Amino acid sequence: MSKMIDRREFVKGSLITSTALMTTAGAGIIAPSNIHASAPDLIIARGNDPSKNTRAAVDALGGISRFVKPGAKVAIKPNMSFARGPNQASNTNPHVVAEVARMCHEAGASKISVLDYVLHSPEDCMRLSKIPEACRSIPNTVVNTVQISRLFREVEVPNGEQFKSMRAISDVLDADVMISTPVGKSHGSAGVSLSMKGMMGWIYDRGSFHSRYNLHDAVVDMVSVLKPHLVVIDGTRILTTGGPSGPGKVMKLDLVIASTDMVAADAQMVSLGTWYGRKFKPNQVRHIRKAAERGLGRMDLDKLNIREIKV
Amino acid sequence: MRSQRIFQTITLSGFIGLLLLAGTLTPDAGLVDFYLRLDPIIGLGTVLASWDLAPALWPSLVVVLITLAIGRVFCGHVCPMGTTLDIFDAVVKREKKNRSKTNAAEANQNKRNWKHYFFVIIVVAGLLGVSLVHLGSPLSWATRIWGLLLYPLALSGLDTSIIWVGEMFRAMGDSSVLYIQPPQRVFSTGLFIFAFFTASFILVMVAPRYWCRNLCPAGALLAWCSKRPILRRQVSDECVNCGQCVAQCPTSAITEDPSNTLNQECIVCLKCKDICPVSAISFSRVQGSSRIPDQDIMPGRRALLYSFATGVVSAGVISNDIHRPKGLPGGTVLRSGNLIRPPGSRTERDFLKLCVRCGACMKACPTNTLQPIWFKAGLEGIFSPVLLPRLGPCAVNCNECGKVCPTGAIRHLPIHEKQSVKMGSAWIVRQNCLVWEQDRKCLVCDEVCPYNALSFQPVKGLKNSAPFVIENRCTGCGWCENKCPVLGDAAIRVNIMGEVRLNEGSYVEKAQQLGLVFKAKDNRHDKLGEETFEGVSRRHKDNKTPGKEEKSKQDLPEGFIVE
Repeated sequence: MSKMIDRREFVKGSLITSTALMTTAGAGIIAPSNIHASAPDLIIARGNDPSKNTRAAVDALGGISRFVKPGAKVAIKPNMSFARGPNQASNTNPHVVAEVARMCHEAGASKISVLDYVLHSPEDCMRLSKIPEACRSIPNTVVNTVQISRLFREVEVPNGEQFKSMRAISDVLDADVMISTPVGKSHGSAGVSLSMKGMMGWIYDRGSFHSRYNLHDAVVDMVSVLKPHLVVIDGTRILTTGGPSGPGKVMKLDLVIASTDMVAADAQMVSLGTWYGRKFKPNQVRHIRKAAERGLGRMDLDKLNIREIKV
Repeated sequence: MRSQRIFQTITLSGFIGLLLLAGTLTPDAGLVDFYLRLDPIIGLGTVLASWDLAPALWPSLVVVLITLAIGRVFCGHVCPMGTTLDIFDAVVKREKKNRSKTNAAEANQNKRNWKHYFFVIIVVAGLLGVSLVHLGSPLSWATRIWGLLLYPLALSGLDTSIIWVGEMFRAMGDSSVLYIQPPQRVFSTGLFIFAFFTASFILVMVAPRYWCRNLCPAGALLAWCSKRPILRRQVSDECVNCGQCVAQCPTSAITEDPSNTLNQECIVCLKCKDICPVSAISFSRVQGSSRIPDQDIMPGRRALLYSFATGVVSAGVISNDIHRPKGLPGGTVLRSGNLIRPPGSRTERDFLKLCVRCGACMKACPTNTLQPIWFKAGLEGIFSPVLLPRLGPCAVNCNECGKVCPTGAIRHLPIHEKQSVKMGSAWIVRQNCLVWEQDRKCLVCDEVCPYNALSFQPVKGLKNSAPFVIENRCTGCGWCENKCPVLGDAAIRVNIMGEVRLNEGSYVEKAQQLGLVFKAKDNRHDKLGEETFEGVSRRHKDNKTPGKEEKSKQDLPEGFIVE
């Protein structure tokens, strides 16, 4: 396991040296000031084609090749935990996931794994979410559900407050790039489930998050390790009540958010959406506030370089 | 390959195929229990014990009629137990010595009667209202062996091979094989099946089809029917008396004089016909006067009397067992509190009379919650199915157990009826509960309950609201017990309190009469209704909240900070 960490750190390190100019706050290693003025912190792409929104948002962020180098192994985290169709907003829009995968392929990724530990029957989730269907034609891309413990392995959580280690999907831990592609949705316990909360679909013992630990702190512990390099939030439509499973009230927003900063992306989605019939500020969501306080990203949207584009 | 082997391959494949179908939620799985319904001892024994002419058992009558006409072809060609033993036989290496003396009918008579004694015991006990069918029914045994012993073994073997092959592929950069994740099954009382499995294997080393020729009560019943079948073994005058057929007959049905046959022991495997060097053997209508051997031995009167007495005593001992649900003086019924029967099970006494312990329901159960027991239900209840909620919950949208039950011990209820069955009630063991004992915030039982049967209420002395079960909403499905985060025994457990079991009539109507309100949440879209506690958005709706403002605050997830 420690060997794996070394390798990832190594890849990360070499990415930084080779593309020093392109590297911004997202890597979390260099100070979060904008070295490269032209690369914004966050993109909001509006339009009625989810695929085009996705591509435009990622391109405006500096392009997928900023994250995915030729030969890289990519792990993508969609929401596909529920046996529901795309319109019900419990799962990520399949075109958003597929477009991210397609861009990874175009950037030369050697392996693109779309993985989620689903809650409903795996076959139903695969079929109804339509994510496998949308990704079928993309080379080097596999969509899999994960529900058996042998596909996970222990990983240290050095800065964990609630726990010091957890079990995460081995293929994710072995990946060079992690990309989170959640849908914007409400959550009965966490308030909202976005890129950070959604990472619980990559770990094994999520039950203890609810029972043994404080959920909000546990989510932040988890994303201190499972920290996506790129976040693409599907705001084509959001589930404003009844989440995470639905059915609930669905609201059309026709947008996609892209950022290298998971906290900023989640914060932006919170402030753009309406949740349980009311508006919230990012700092009103416990786990987002915690993550910002612990330096995992920024939720001060007014101080970020945010660019809105029309597609 | 000999015709018998081809036929056996087909019938065993059919048996295994149907068994694999059990629990796959196929729209009409009515055929899954077909083989079980062919078993004449299940047919006769169950009808005697229950005085219920279960119409589903008529196929066994057809088997009896066929046997009257053409002998024990069922044993030789259809019975999966017999075929399983033939597979054992193919593995066993026998010494090549001349067995034409030792394998002759005359040398194998005494042990043969055991099966008749066994048969008499089952019939007599059945007449006295105690079903012992499960101890002797070959189809029960075969279903247990294939469904509860070999099937889980195959699944874990499959998973192990996936790991081996998958790691090889992963080394080459393809981890897709590793993502094949077959389900896994575990069953208790495995020793019961395994001991029988091993014993029958060892006995095959003694003689082929040892079970069939000496022990099987279904074989005994069919033997009574096949003394003089219309088609039977005939030996023509071309016979050279070489004795090969005598030596190789798997049931020792041929006498030292190869032209004589014990028709009741012959399973019509046609081996003698196939190996005869001069083709002197045929299975055909009797030509002229047929020689019926003198040693046409059926059990003696004394032995039959002993087995009759054994049946009476067995039934008596079981009837007087402390767990027998016959009601003690004062109406007391001793039943273990966690003896939760599958949904739709008939009343306990009738259930035990009808249940043949084949394990089809356990094989079919998609959550693995149905498990066999040892003596929890007394001597009579050995190997009968119960729910083990700590292992798995009873899935809301599933009625597989009733669908595959061959005798109707578990009724085949439509889903909406099944959802109105009260199997028991949950109760909270406060000493184990995180809220009651440690005043920690935990809502898991409420979140997973498919029927909204939990209420969290403020309690004096506790910061956090504590769980209470709303008894008339609880079906006893066990989701709460299954997901309770406490290690070891759960803090909320199901017991049989309030269970409703109807031999006939509607559970929906009964529930209405009893004031039970079973309303499955509508947010279950998947085929099993399986959700972990993450999947539920509803927050404690049943809370009695004093003020309106407080209520609107409480309806928000706790993840929001609201000033």
